[in-house]
Amino acid sequence: MTTTLQTRPVTETPRPVRTAPRRRKPRAYKIFRVVALTLTVLLFIAPLVWMFISSLKTNVDIYDASKTLFFTPTLDNYDNVLGRNNYFGFIFNSFWVALLSTIFSLIIGVPAAYAMSRFTMHRSAIVVLMARIIPGVSLLVPWYFIFANMRMVGGFGVLILSHMFVALPLIVYIMISYFDSTPLELEEQAQVDGLTHIGAFLRITLPLSVPGLATAGILSFIFSWNNFMFALVLSGANTKTLPVAIFNFVSYASIDWGSLMAAAVVVTVPIMVIALFTQKYIVSGLTAGATKG
Amino acid sequence: MTTMVTTTPSMWRNYSTWANRNRKWLFASPAMIFVGLLIAVPLGWTLYLSVTDSEGSVRAKSNLVGLSNYFEVLTDTDRFWPAVMRTFVFTGGSLAIELILGMCIALLLWRPFRGEKWVRVAILLPLVATPVAVGMMWRLIFDPNIGFANQVLSWIGIPAQPWLSGQYTALPTLMFVDIWQWTPMVVLMLLAGLTSLSDEPDEAARIDGANSWQRFWFVTLPLMRATVIVTIVLRGIDALKTFDLLYATKGKGGGSFHEVETLNIYAFGLSFDYNDYGIASTVLILFFLLIIAIMWVLTYRRKANRS
Amino acid sequence: MKRHSAIRVAAIAAATFIAAGSLTACSTAAGAGDGDGASKTLRVTLANHVWTDTIKDKLPEFEAATGLTVELSQYGEDQLSDQYNVKLNAGTDEIDVMMYRPLQEGKLFAKNGYLADLSDDVESNADWDWSDFQPGPVGSTTYDDNVVGVPIITEQEVLYYRKDLLANAGLDVPTTMVELEAAAQAIKEQNPGVAGFVARTGKSAAVTQFSSFLYSFGGDFIDDNGDSGIASPEAKEAYAFYGKLIREYGPENVSTDMSWPEAMAIFTQGQAGFYTEADSLYKNATDPETSKVSDTVGFAPMPAGPGGSVAYNVPSWALGINAESNNSAEAWKFIEWATSQDLTLEVQQDGVPGARQSVWEDPAGTSTYPADLAAAIATSTKNGVGHDRPLVIKVPEAREIVGDPIVIAITGGDSDAAADDADDAFQGLLDDE
Repeated sequence: MTTTLQTRPVTETPRPVRTAPRRRKPRAYKIFRVVALTLTVLLFIAPLVWMFISSLKTNVDIYDASKTLFFTPTLDNYDNVLGRNNYFGFIFNSFWVALLSTIFSLIIGVPAAYAMSRFTMHRSAIVVLMARIIPGVSLLVPWYFIFANMRMVGGFGVLILSHMFVALPLIVYIMISYFDSTPLELEEQAQVDGLTHIGAFLRITLPLSVPGLATAGILSFIFSWNNFMFALVLSGANTKTLPVAIFNFVSYASIDWGSLMAAAVVVTVPIMVIALFTQKYIVSGLTAGATKG
Repeated sequence: MTTMVTTTPSMWRNYSTWANRNRKWLFASPAMIFVGLLIAVPLGWTLYLSVTDSEGSVRAKSNLVGLSNYFEVLTDTDRFWPAVMRTFVFTGGSLAIELILGMCIALLLWRPFRGEKWVRVAILLPLVATPVAVGMMWRLIFDPNIGFANQVLSWIGIPAQPWLSGQYTALPTLMFVDIWQWTPMVVLMLLAGLTSLSDEPDEAARIDGANSWQRFWFVTLPLMRATVIVTIVLRGIDALKTFDLLYATKGKGGGSFHEVETLNIYAFGLSFDYNDYGIASTVLILFFLLIIAIMWVLTYRRKANRS
Repeated sequence: MKRHSAIRVAAIAAATFIAAGSLTACSTAAGAGDGDGASKTLRVTLANHVWTDTIKDKLPEFEAATGLTVELSQYGEDQLSDQYNVKLNAGTDEIDVMMYRPLQEGKLFAKNGYLADLSDDVESNADWDWSDFQPGPVGSTTYDDNVVGVPIITEQEVLYYRKDLLANAGLDVPTTMVELEAAAQAIKEQNPGVAGFVARTGKSAAVTQFSSFLYSFGGDFIDDNGDSGIASPEAKEAYAFYGKLIREYGPENVSTDMSWPEAMAIFTQGQAGFYTEADSLYKNATDPETSKVSDTVGFAPMPAGPGGSVAYNVPSWALGINAESNNSAEAWKFIEWATSQDLTLEVQQDGVPGARQSVWEDPAGTSTYPADLAAAIATSTKNGVGHDRPLVIKVPEAREIVGDPIVIAITGGDSDAAADDADDAFQGLLDDE
């Protein structure tokens, strides 16, 4: 597993410089490519569009096959979700938990990744990455038991800790491959100039790693936002996160598809907006370690 | 006071020297201790429960029963082995299709073209969508009576399908959803691998007169081996542990015929529906060992190939 | 230089976030932790239910009268049991009042000591009047002679039907199972796209609504000797009949995952002629906002089988106090208030059948119900059986076992053989307990 960690810089998606002009592809391939890509995009986007359309329909229209595409849009479902169910509170919870668990994970994860990269501590890296492998179900009851005895349950503290458990391996994994690809020379130069090892890390390496930190941070934020299982049992009445709240909606009264879709849109839209603006970082984070070392 | 003032700088220097000398562990230990503590206790606990007959409540009195739980689980052809099989079918099937489809899309995206940015955005969206919301969305689309999927089928004259609610169609349908959500990740990883390849071997093969398929199969693909294995490992871990999607669409037990009950869902049901903690812990331990074994085989083979 | 100051700003911003974050985390933790003494905050965990909606609207009155703050957690049934399983297992004191299902989790919870003994509390207030509660429900919230819960919602199974479809077919309301089958068949044949009959189909979910069929055919889950009764000729007949109704007269492509929300949706969208379900859900069918058939829905007692018309009559939900709660005195105040005569009447008028005899005897108690529904409930209550699932400790497992032949019958398999298999498994479970 650790052998995957030596990689080139995660942020520059290197596109090889072309030595010779590429020969022109046949026209048929070009057409095929356009058609294939259009189909691909449609397949990936259509369900999301459908979710959005359904969230604008009344339940009567959802059940009516003749109104698949032509209907009178309504915002009632959103009114129902946002007005009656304190969704803004849940959004706030999700945001706060995701942000803090990300920041804390960065604080302990980045130095760890640095040490693991510079001292090639493969076994230690495996310990941290174990957190990604272990099935979450086996953690729930013991965690709850421990946290309950620490009187932390139902607060944000325990949620943040559990989400850090998700975020930390991700951050360590991404940052190890980032540090692996950062040249040593600058650090060595700084030490010649009189900085200590730690000083060189703080003053030189860390500032140079801002793109890597952003990558790791954004991804860990997204994973925390989407996490369901831990929040399902560890959150309290006031700390419920969005995915748990939307799932709760399912069993409410009856299958209210319109409102359900509105709730789903409310959960996914913020994260998609973030993803759109930070596309570059997400891609480099997800593909960390993908290129061979 | 004066002594304090005079000693402080040297004390600071001592600390600083000590810290620098031990920076390896100073840096690594907080994260390791955090993960260690959060894993060690639950893992030890689960291991202990797996050799007891604990049920009803974990605080209730239980007896040590040795390895009889393991015997019971490993000979259980009703729920355990089918769940193992479903876990493999779900993971292996989705992963295989994701790799093939992902490779095709990655190859389409490989060379730059106009509108590339929009295609990338489009495939990024399923990836970041909240799995629970995704589950809800597909539940509506695949509803046998009002779903869009059956409507599309009716337009092209195919009879309605039960999709998620059918005994034999539920697992393939959920694999489809998994493929929808995670192929983009495979595309991105493979694309990163492709773009990092040097052009030279490909050019050389072209000059030797190889056609595109030959160049892909004999030149590009072998060079991509490392990337493909990393992709399998990372995607495989997550696919094996899939929970949100299955729980949100079929609930505990994975449907009336346990048709989508994977190991993770089975363990969850044993813990939180049957309150059968001894057996549940046994299943979890076996599941954990299984994941580690698979990961070990994949990474070990990779090392062997490299050396 | 410019780069440096940017980093400094970022560092300061991060530090501020962390400081603020830890403060919040700490204060929340502190807030959650001050339950040692008599806290002013009462933590109440309730299920998603019409009952809960009514109580929620009234909460400010309770808070004003007692000076307590109620922190309400609300979950769907499955999520609720997940919550309880994790939290009560760990011995939490973060739950004071808990809404639970006496027939589902009651025995397990009481056996595990999760539920506080309320025997003294229920006798403490003569005005509140414990003796007013129906004996059947009280029996199921009593464990080892100790009262561990106060029943709040009762349920009886009734037949929901479409008056218009029945009239078009020129048929009377079916009073026997034979008539029900004939009517379902007629409706299915006359109305393309409309099912004759719909009911729950999920293995576990269907068990409770199947139980009244089982009783009406003369069977029961457990026989008089305490042995499994699900392979008796009566039970086999009931399995086959229930399965046939859905298989032959049910919706096309019928799902085997349906619980009440799915089945109810089919009925309220006008896609089924008959539907057997708990009466406590009738509002879903009569409310024009959720139902297309609100004008034409009728209610009748369960049709009679060879064993008569025998429906279940059960306490579906009760309120209990977490044994680890540090607020048991305040928690009792809440239960006393929520189950008072006035509030029970009000809740019942909102469509939730309660457990107080006086409210049922009061004409106002059923004044808001459709007349045919009130009559059907009266019949079910009179002949009713006090359980709608096997009364064991491992209810979830038992439900899956006895539910298996239902699903097999629905999908056209050999339900008799399935019943024999299930009988072995169920007997094994009974022997274990």
